[in-house]
Amino acid sequence: MADDKAFPLSRRGFLASACCLAAAPIFTPVTFAAMPGDNRFVTIVLRGAMDGLDLVQPYGELSFASLRPDIALAPDKGLVDLDGFFGLHPAAADLLPLWKAKELAFVHAVSTPYRDARSHFDGQDMLESGGDHVAEEKTGWLNRALATIPRSTARKAIDINTSTELILSGPNVVDVWASDSNFGMGADEMQFLTRLYANDPAFAKAMDEATRADQSAKMGEEPGTKRGEQIIDVAALAAKMLLREYRIASFSINGWDTHVQQTAQFRKAAGDLTQAVLTLKSTLGPDAWKTTVVLAMTEFGRTVRQNGSGGTDHGTGGCCLLAGGAINGGRVLGKWPGIKDEQLFEDRDLMPTADVREIAAAMLYRQFDVGAGDLTSKIFPGLSFDKSSQFLKV
Amino acid sequence: MSLSFQTLAALRFGYGFRPGEAVSADRDALLDPMRISDGNCLFPVGGIEARRQAIGNVADRLRDIRSSDIDDAAKRDEQKAIFKELQQSYQRDADARIAQAVFSPYGFYERLAAFWTNHFSVSVDKTQPMKLIVPLFEAEAIRPHIGGTFPDLLRSATQHPAMLIYLDQTQSLGPDSPAGIKRNKGLNENLARELLELHTLGAGSGYTQDDVRSAAMILTGITVDRQAVEADFRKAAAEPGSHRVLGVSYGRTQRTERDYLQLLNDLALNPKTAAHISRKLAIHFISDTPPQAMIDAMTQAWRKTDGDLMAVYGAMLDHPAAWTSEGTKARQPFDFIVAGLRALNLPKNAAAGAIVDPLADDVDGAQAMASDSPATPGNNSATPDNAPDPQEAKRRQAAIDATFYVPRGLGIYALQRMGQPVWRPPSPAGFPEGFDAWINAGELSERISWARRAIGRYGKQDDPRQFLKETLADAARDDTIRVVSQAPNKMMGLTLTLASPEFNRR
Repeated sequence: MADDKAFPLSRRGFLASACCLAAAPIFTPVTFAAMPGDNRFVTIVLRGAMDGLDLVQPYGELSFASLRPDIALAPDKGLVDLDGFFGLHPAAADLLPLWKAKELAFVHAVSTPYRDARSHFDGQDMLESGGDHVAEEKTGWLNRALATIPRSTARKAIDINTSTELILSGPNVVDVWASDSNFGMGADEMQFLTRLYANDPAFAKAMDEATRADQSAKMGEEPGTKRGEQIIDVAALAAKMLLREYRIASFSINGWDTHVQQTAQFRKAAGDLTQAVLTLKSTLGPDAWKTTVVLAMTEFGRTVRQNGSGGTDHGTGGCCLLAGGAINGGRVLGKWPGIKDEQLFEDRDLMPTADVREIAAAMLYRQFDVGAGDLTSKIFPGLSFDKSSQFLKV
Repeated sequence: MSLSFQTLAALRFGYGFRPGEAVSADRDALLDPMRISDGNCLFPVGGIEARRQAIGNVADRLRDIRSSDIDDAAKRDEQKAIFKELQQSYQRDADARIAQAVFSPYGFYERLAAFWTNHFSVSVDKTQPMKLIVPLFEAEAIRPHIGGTFPDLLRSATQHPAMLIYLDQTQSLGPDSPAGIKRNKGLNENLARELLELHTLGAGSGYTQDDVRSAAMILTGITVDRQAVEADFRKAAAEPGSHRVLGVSYGRTQRTERDYLQLLNDLALNPKTAAHISRKLAIHFISDTPPQAMIDAMTQAWRKTDGDLMAVYGAMLDHPAAWTSEGTKARQPFDFIVAGLRALNLPKNAAAGAIVDPLADDVDGAQAMASDSPATPGNNSATPDNAPDPQEAKRRQAAIDATFYVPRGLGIYALQRMGQPVWRPPSPAGFPEGFDAWINAGELSERISWARRAIGRYGKQDDPRQFLKETLADAARDDTIRVVSQAPNKMMGLTLTLASPEFNRR
């Protein structure tokens, strides 16, 4: 039986590009959940605090260029004009066709309720747990949402890699997608491992997930594929899973903690985000893309003024991206607070005028019929759904 | 059921049992090795002085390439060759890092070295030269201070070039300092923020953004002297004037080095720092949710002794909770691999034939050096043929010992797959601590796979029942003993031992 590969227990790792300054995991896990229906939802966590003012630049503000002499652009310096006031960073210029097709939108001046401490670690916990304050929720809002989706009998989630991201971690079942390092356990040997862990629930659960995951592993894999190390691989894998029974996927893009010489670092990260969105679209194909919403969000924004080394420090108000055939985009949404000195939050940050959870709640409502009651109690405690209404028709 | 002192000392406070190695008899036996001066650290390979020279040499070579008038493609090629050398040097040091933990008889000392290096996280991924600097950081800024005081440790870690580069301090200029005005550049808050949030007071302990900014102002002026490879204070970059952190003013019109040293000292002795780091130690060694009474006792010892770390470790070991409710923590990947290699009694020079003396000056050795040893350039070898020096001989032996001990598939590459690559923490907060981060489906698969490969290489002949007894002693549970003893073959029985919950918990 030693050669019987009935249970080739295995896994596959995704090495993210090494960015050491953001609070990012070494790996970029990809998590999935299966749902009834055709609608699809992808969340992308931009780890390290994306500078929204760099991605979607308010070049129409008179003071913008002087606040950021080394970073700010203008349409005559490569900025891609969106609406005469905002312009898109050139590294994201490939998204312009989506914008024109109304499949892309941005929401400016958003943040979580986390407002004045600017720690990556707490900020990301808030973003992914969906709580009203630090450490209020121990599980992820996307995992809690699974339990509230109507008619969902097969709420299967799948995790690629060594750990689930907080956003999809919680009581709902998670599988592990895996593909390499097969070590060909025989069925009898598998039974011994199962017995070994029988009296230790944490190990038994991990073993059970590892075993079941193997079935899923074969789904997304093409023979001879290399281990994914690029964001394109991660996004393509997510899209392939969404073409099967999975309807929710989540992964991260690292590299946004731009304290020093922001221009080069931001270009790389913005390019990754652009590639991820375009890869999702192309891999999903027109039919699935039509029912898909992508929400990319970050833990907080960055200072409005550039710092002493051509970068920006931790701020508050940020920006999130919405994409997909299911949205009515081509607009920069949100209430713009302005960037004059007296309009800033604590004399340094973009003033947040909306809660990023309002957008997430609206997307869960429209994609999966999650009820307003569940959204404001179980999933995002303390949130007012009234404020989400502006995003329902996006 | 409570385990014997020896078992808990080995599993909870060390890297597990190694056959033939003496076990710690009591609390003092655990603490005594903290006073070692650490002259036998296996990294940086080649020794500290040679590494400092190598760092300077690489900086020079990179600068020469930048300023030479060859075309860009040629520059890129030359840089790439240097980066390859740096990568090879890093890998050799990382091998030595694992060997250090496997072969050292001082488990608690080694675990604390890993704890503090993780507390003061720096990563080789920040810049290319960091591949040479980070191993030096652990060897000279962390390890010698483990048995000393926290103010000393904090100063030594903060002032090290590795930290100053990793947290962008070298880029920070006082906005109104002569250098800031001249270059039209200014403040970078990164080091100041992590100093308060991670290294001392702790997140949410009450400091404000103004405190962060003022601390950043006080830190201006500290930069790295690239030739001496040490911190340097440049008055011209220091923000003039006085700045208040947590209500205390630092500096007058003339700023001096004393201001930031005073700030570091005040932060090190702040009661919030004592509580934050005592908690972190208790979480690391005892439980994800340690009893508050233990943390209080450690905090009190800290405050009574102005941060004497021996007193703090002692308070932890003296608390009854240190010796109960075992097995609630997960061994992290580094702990797991080191413990596995110790259980298998990994022989020294395991990869015989692959050994290269990195300090040799014969022809073969010189060739090896030219290709993969930037840390010890041949013409800088401090071993003249005619002058045998005992210190040098010791250093040479240490360098040889460190080379190629652990096959990389079971060592540095396995750690990479398990998510804990050597000296490459994901962020300034270091690697995650909680049980769930390290025990899950993917991680368990990796560990079972590792156990099989390690057993296949080193353990095939052992008897599983005996191996289980030597490896886990009284920590082995009855059901594990039964499953292991019934395994279909030796190989499987041995694999089950290393894959068992008891071996993966501590």
